[in-house]
Amino acid sequence: MSPDMIIDWLQATLRWGAPLILVAMGEVFAERSGIINVGIEGIMLTGALAGIAVSFFTGNVFLASIGTMLLGALLGLGVAYLTVSRRTNQVVTGLMVNLAALGGTNLLFALLSESRHERVATFPLLFPASFSEIPVIGPILFRQPVSTWFALILPFFAAYFLYRTDWGLNVRAVGDNPKAAATAGLPVIKLKYEAVILSGIFAALGGAALTLSEVGYFASGGMTAGRGFVVLAAVVVGGWDPVRVALACLVFGAADAAQLRMQAMGSTIPYQFLQMLPYVITLIALAGLVGRTRAPKTWGAPYDPADI
Amino acid sequence: MTQNDKIAMRMEGITKRFPGVLANDRISLECRKGEVLGLLGENGAGKTTLMNILYGLHQPDSGKIFINGKQVTIESPAKAIELGIGMVHQHFKLVDTLTALENVILGIPSEHPLVLDLAPARKRFLALCEEYDLYVDPSVEVWRLSVGKQQWLEILKALYRDARLLVLDEPSAVLTPAEGEQLFKAIRKLTAEERSVIFISHKFGEVLEITDRITVIRDGHVVGTVPTKEATYPELARMMVGRPVAMDRKSRPLAAKKDPILVMENVEAMSDRGLPALKNINLTLHPGEIVGVAGVDGNGQLELAECIVGMRKRTSGTIRIQGLNVDHVMDDPSFVGYIPADRQKVGLFLALTVAENLIVKDYYKAPFARKSVLRYSAIRQHAKDLIKDYNIKTPSGEVEVANLSGGNQQKVVIARELSDQPAPVVASQATRGLDLGAVESVHNFLLAERERGAAVLFISTELQEVMSLSDRIIVMFRGEVMGEVDGNTADVDTIGQMMLGETAEVSA
Amino acid sequence: MKNEKQPRFLSLPGIGDLALSGVRPLIGISLGLLAGAVLIAISGVNPFTAYVAMLQGALGSPQAIANVLVRASPLLLGGVGVALGIKAGLWNVGIEGYMYAGAIGATWVGIAALPVSPLVHITLAILAAGVVAVIWGVAPAYLRAYRGVNEVISTIMMNYVAIFLVSYLVHEPQPMAEPGSFFPMSLQLAPTARLPILLRGSSLHPGFIIGLAACILFYLILRFTPFGFRTRMLGVNPVGSRYAGVNVKRQILFVLLIGALAGGVAGAVEVMGLKGRLYMDFVAGVGYESVAVALLAAGNPLGVIASALFFAALKAGGATMSIQTGVGGPMTIIIEALCVIFVIGVGYSERKRLTRADKAVKGDEEVKHNVA
Repeated sequence: MSPDMIIDWLQATLRWGAPLILVAMGEVFAERSGIINVGIEGIMLTGALAGIAVSFFTGNVFLASIGTMLLGALLGLGVAYLTVSRRTNQVVTGLMVNLAALGGTNLLFALLSESRHERVATFPLLFPASFSEIPVIGPILFRQPVSTWFALILPFFAAYFLYRTDWGLNVRAVGDNPKAAATAGLPVIKLKYEAVILSGIFAALGGAALTLSEVGYFASGGMTAGRGFVVLAAVVVGGWDPVRVALACLVFGAADAAQLRMQAMGSTIPYQFLQMLPYVITLIALAGLVGRTRAPKTWGAPYDPADI
Repeated sequence: MTQNDKIAMRMEGITKRFPGVLANDRISLECRKGEVLGLLGENGAGKTTLMNILYGLHQPDSGKIFINGKQVTIESPAKAIELGIGMVHQHFKLVDTLTALENVILGIPSEHPLVLDLAPARKRFLALCEEYDLYVDPSVEVWRLSVGKQQWLEILKALYRDARLLVLDEPSAVLTPAEGEQLFKAIRKLTAEERSVIFISHKFGEVLEITDRITVIRDGHVVGTVPTKEATYPELARMMVGRPVAMDRKSRPLAAKKDPILVMENVEAMSDRGLPALKNINLTLHPGEIVGVAGVDGNGQLELAECIVGMRKRTSGTIRIQGLNVDHVMDDPSFVGYIPADRQKVGLFLALTVAENLIVKDYYKAPFARKSVLRYSAIRQHAKDLIKDYNIKTPSGEVEVANLSGGNQQKVVIARELSDQPAPVVASQATRGLDLGAVESVHNFLLAERERGAAVLFISTELQEVMSLSDRIIVMFRGEVMGEVDGNTADVDTIGQMMLGETAEVSA
Repeated sequence: MKNEKQPRFLSLPGIGDLALSGVRPLIGISLGLLAGAVLIAISGVNPFTAYVAMLQGALGSPQAIANVLVRASPLLLGGVGVALGIKAGLWNVGIEGYMYAGAIGATWVGIAALPVSPLVHITLAILAAGVVAVIWGVAPAYLRAYRGVNEVISTIMMNYVAIFLVSYLVHEPQPMAEPGSFFPMSLQLAPTARLPILLRGSSLHPGFIIGLAACILFYLILRFTPFGFRTRMLGVNPVGSRYAGVNVKRQILFVLLIGALAGGVAGAVEVMGLKGRLYMDFVAGVGYESVAVALLAAGNPLGVIASALFFAALKAGGATMSIQTGVGGPMTIIIEALCVIFVIGVGYSERKRLTRADKAVKGDEEVKHNVA
């Protein structure tokens, strides 16, 4: 393996890891509040299309991001209504959101046929192109679009919000012991809504980062190719801690990047085992074989305010 | 008017129904400034519901609440906190995974929403610790704290919010004697500052020691309020437990002593939380007797029952049923008749029919199943017979048990458990929440079991029924048997003292 | 009694009680179809015309009906596997993975040119499918039963592992892979391992009969066997089940493994009846649709027959609707999802049932306090 290949692989690791991190940072908060938002796969897909669409019509990446996030908030609100207020099964709800999103994006994409496979305005590089002349770290770091940099910084902000603000403290309390939180005077339902909506916003943004960072077009159908589920896996493996979850995302991104390279090279090494990696690691983590992962205490359980 | 100024909190005619229970029935009480009001009552008397209403966790169906003379509606805990009410629940409302300090500030918006600056909070918290002499390390996660420390933390949490009225629900249940002393010192300091404390307990000794007045609650209503100075132990006991016990004990000959049916030797077991729940239990049950188990709820009765029916592992000791080790007996759960305390969560399958509920222990045996096929004709006939024998009021056996009244649900459990004529019968809180008629019929079923020659262990927190039904009575306190008395000569004072773990010193 | 609060229920009076009487899925489906109609209208097509086209596409000819039955086959089997779990209070959403695993087993045996009669070959292939799928189900089932690991997340993870395993097996140079094909796929199944075609000019194979039989069998098991009785006990009250002497852990294990078995047979039927070979997306999403099918049927195996046929009709009719009226093909998926979302969203949570049960108890209490 040549150094160039390794550099290329590391560069791709960041590129593929970044959207995962964006999505994961929202999901961490939702799950910390006790709600597993399985719909992130679908919301991500929707965001990927919305990003492209808005960018295509406005030519403005910033507007595309804002529009995408608004859409994500709306979808998050829907998930929150069903799972928090109606107390539906969180996984079934998420799966149906994914199904609806798959159908919806395919349908809309067919309508937007003019933009099909046409490249649109994408996220610009953060640093001047000359930076990427720097050996080794140049191509790895400085050829990355703004979205990657944002994704690399975001986990630290997320950790700050989770551990060092009122709101983060409240979300953690709600996920671990909603009754105690309610007794302390916290608006439990509202906090859960906020956390789930946040997961919607970042899932959509992560989807947009997928299409608007490099690719620049939407591929109908499997654009997200199960990346939402990779994020669900990363959140478990990262133990619901933003920074560790982000690291897990990068590891999974590295596996993804390696796998794509192996496919492209026609390597005889079975790349499918790399694709399985995130899911197998998650199973091992769930089984408690590596360390002790401490899930939020009411992870996935409905909360009934009448039940004191 | 000056009298009114002294009233910190007044409740008038508070009524609260829950599905299945009238928890509070027109309760009125008041708490003065700078006073400790004792709230005395058995478990399930409605004390906790009343306090949850005061704290905004439940809304009363009717009634009024006044704080400092003003009528208020307390729609949420946030509102209660705002009104200066602090509450320490019996089951602590702490988030285990957060630190002590984080728990304290939970729900208090910090000065700047984006900065959670714990330093000033820590300083103030430590000052409070010192002021009331209740030290808790602020940076330790709650799950590492002892229960006593968690109690301190709950109190400090309320004081941090400057509670003027502090409700303590069974505070000393989890404290060592030394910690209890510390708590009392803190309470005296609070009242010296003109704060009020409502002290909920069923321990007579400490209520008499710390309170100024005592309000006694039974069955959801106020029995009376007495100034502590004028209160006497027997009077309080009678108010709490009910009428002076003059029961119509049915005359019955004592069965001749035969080989014992159940023998427990040195049995010890843990509670679900991993704490010792049974300590060195020795118990023998003979055919044709009812042995009553008296005691305040949560003193090991549940664990005792579960050990006998094989649902809970012993940590040591042996249990023999008719000479057989219980571990081998329990492959067939119908060997012991067990009426569990929580009939809806444990004893019944609400979404299954009456007929199905009647066979949940025997469904795989003939005649209900032959060659691995359920025989519904036999199941239906069985249901018909038991509905008649046990006088279960239901349209048919094909109705979901959920649709039956509480008394008839209990009869379904009893019919299932007793119709096989098991030698030992364990009945746990068998009459809880039933109407008088249903209580009577449950009693009669158990007396019939005694006649038949079964050995009945009758666990109840209602002292009255334990005394009227039992041939012998054992009293449990903190997982130990405090003593045994003869059912014919038992008196409420002796048993009451043993129930409260105060064997010798409080004799009236 | 008068100040009894009305249950919050989208503040539509009356619907709550209707929902309780089992009409809930119908209301949900109607709302889903209605919402679908709005979307169809927005996309510029008369919804009435579209739905008529859909109905014709599903039921308009013997071929159409055959098509519905073909699509229903894996849904019947997968759905009934999930349904058994629902009856036991478990969410076995691993059907997708079991289908892939089962298909691997069936293909393995199916591609071999065995000197046996079709009946024997088919039986062997289905048997292999069952074995592989059950083995696939062991990990999540064991983790759920004996270590309390949330079965939902673990089965989803297993689904993806299965998909990539299939991808690996159908790529060269794996022995199962078709050499030199552009699209990675397995070798063709031997003719003796193919399910027969029942109706000329269609692809109707006996899969739906196996599916229907499975639904009826599962119904009989649940209703008439001690095993089924235990399963229902577990679903209604796990604590009570333990008290009544049920080995709860073993029951959980068996229920999840039987679900895996059903999923495996579904995968086998799809390969042996319809596709003729194994490739990566051969049942894309059918496993998740099975979850929806079972949910719509509220876990009742006979209900699964109705809801599987409904989903199959929706898919088959949707294709016709798309061709005849120009409504986008994916509209069908959206309507599917909307129907389920409305069914679960309109749902009364289980605790309301219990509350209702408690009200019956209340009568006693009032007597008590009136007397006292």
